[in-house]
Amino acid sequence: MSAWLLLRKDLRVLRRSPLLVVVLLAYPLLVAGLVGLVAGYATSKPRVALVVEDELPRTFVLGGHHFHVDRTIARVSRAVKLVRLSSGEAERELRTGKVVAVVTVPRGFVADLRGMVRSPRLVLETTHGGLSPRVTQQVQALVYSLNHELQAAYIESNLRYVQLILHGGDGSFLGRKFQILGLDGTEQELRHLPSGPRLDAIRQFVRDARLALAQTDDALRATANPIQLVHAPEHGRTWALSAQVQAYALALTISFLTLVLAAGAVAAERDENVIGRLVRGLVGLGELVSAKIMLAALVSLGVGLAIALAFGVVIQVGGVTGGEPWSRLPLLCVGLALAGASLGALGTLLGALAREPRTASLVSLLVVLPIVFLGLVPREVVPVAGYLSDALPFAHSVRFFGAALYDASPWGVVAREGTWLVGLAAAFAAAARVGARRLLA
Amino acid sequence: MTLLLARGVARRFGRQEALQPTDLEVGQAETLALVGPNGAGKSTLLALLAGALEPTAGTVERRHGVRVGWVPQRPAHYARLSPRENLELFARLEGEPRPVEAAARLLGTFELPRDGQASGSLSVGNRQRLNLAIALLGDPQVLLLDEPTASLDPGQRRRLWERVDALREAGGAVVFATQNVDELERHADRVVALRDGRVVFDGTVSDYEREPLADLFA
Repeated sequence: MSAWLLLRKDLRVLRRSPLLVVVLLAYPLLVAGLVGLVAGYATSKPRVALVVEDELPRTFVLGGHHFHVDRTIARVSRAVKLVRLSSGEAERELRTGKVVAVVTVPRGFVADLRGMVRSPRLVLETTHGGLSPRVTQQVQALVYSLNHELQAAYIESNLRYVQLILHGGDGSFLGRKFQILGLDGTEQELRHLPSGPRLDAIRQFVRDARLALAQTDDALRATANPIQLVHAPEHGRTWALSAQVQAYALALTISFLTLVLAAGAVAAERDENVIGRLVRGLVGLGELVSAKIMLAALVSLGVGLAIALAFGVVIQVGGVTGGEPWSRLPLLCVGLALAGASLGALGTLLGALAREPRTASLVSLLVVLPIVFLGLVPREVVPVAGYLSDALPFAHSVRFFGAALYDASPWGVVAREGTWLVGLAAAFAAAARVGARRLLA
Repeated sequence: MTLLLARGVARRFGRQEALQPTDLEVGQAETLALVGPNGAGKSTLLALLAGALEPTAGTVERRHGVRVGWVPQRPAHYARLSPRENLELFARLEGEPRPVEAAARLLGTFELPRDGQASGSLSVGNRQRLNLAIALLGDPQVLLLDEPTASLDPGQRRRLWERVDALREAGGAVVFATQNVDELERHADRVVALRDGRVVFDGTVSDYEREPLADLFA
């Protein structure tokens, strides 16, 4: 009962502090936007130096295909920004970090490419550190794309040799011209020879070989591409409306809002000198902590719901497919309340330890940033960050929201993350109850 | 009959010992004045008696069913709520059966604004009146007042002491901290003097006035 009275009082006070409400809402949304930009930067093209030590012609012909070198490079290097540099410049820029990798086209590359006997080589140098694996992957993707383009030419060239074997005619190899009889010509020549078991066997071989080689076209293409990735024409969600972004935006906003609010609210009880009045048997410290946790849960529910509705409307109006933003709102509400309670309990603990509202606000802002960034670091990249994040509510909130909004079968994730949030709320609330004694000092 | 009893009650704030182990008994129909220089431990003792502070040693016992009102030195109410909202909230927390009526009655008694003005924007005197009004919710039998008249105008002081005297006559008790010798002489029937967190005198007003300590504190 006392906790409800305090909660009502806090909501009334909050309603009378419009500037505070605007700041508490605008700030996390601003941070969410900045994090989005950072995430966008993370997917931007890294700068990679291209050092050409060989004489690259403007165009060259391979297997009957004409390749314009610059256009081909531009087409295949979508994941990286290739800049042509001299060897010395590239080395210097790699050392200073202006480029994240150097791809060198060594001497003899074009000759090997034209010869089609030995695979031409590109040399890759990368920086050390966190970006290195990503750059390697992107350069591998570049080489894959280049190989894909060249592969068609190689296959055409090889098939031309197969056609020569089948039908005969003029050909060239390594610059040497030759004329070939072919299996068709061989069969005709064999017809003019007297029959006999040995000749029949040769005729049979020629027929079999013709049949087999006739299938070479598709077989060779299939061998070159055991698995082919076809990009479906349907458009997915834009980045801004993706399930992950929605879940992060919700969790981030709520984390900032509830942590700062709960910390400030509990410290304000001491600042207004009311704490002494309350604890004289009117309100227990446990009830005081509960009131602040309920406040955080309610505010989280209200603000989170408003954000989810805004996303839902945009998705509906934009006709974006995937997910069921409306039917999953009740489940999302449960997550919002649990996340708010868990973060509110942590905020109450911080407020009780800080004791003074300005210190409490500052401390909670300082604490919320690492909490959020720990949750953004992929566990696969830094496992320790994953373990630390498990002990904090942000990452669990993200997973709960994502599953609640978009998973076809969300119950497993929701139950697991919900249990985490309840457990963390209980642990932080217990700590806050103990810490609240500091408010009396 | 004892209404409040402190046994060896003490309080530390970090390394600082604000109040050394202290015994104090507050009886029915008694008005007790706490005197002493700044930092002597008067406010700490009052907060301990009120239950607003937890003692680091000792206990404070309250006669069963006795209600205690506490007026801290610095006003204790919510700045963004109006006086009426503050009074209604604390009336509900005190378990007043008719919180709205109780709040309205005290607004009238203490001549507090009823226009919904935030308490934080009231004058210092009005904030102290609200501080007093909140302490009177729940009809306490014991009033603990920490320099209650510091910001009150003469009319409000008179009304406060009338209320204190009425409470004593009704069998209640009042403990007040003061630096004002006139208040002590006119309203107290017992004096407890504190210095450096310990009781240095406990007796009648006339005995206190004969003590050399009285000159020091006055």
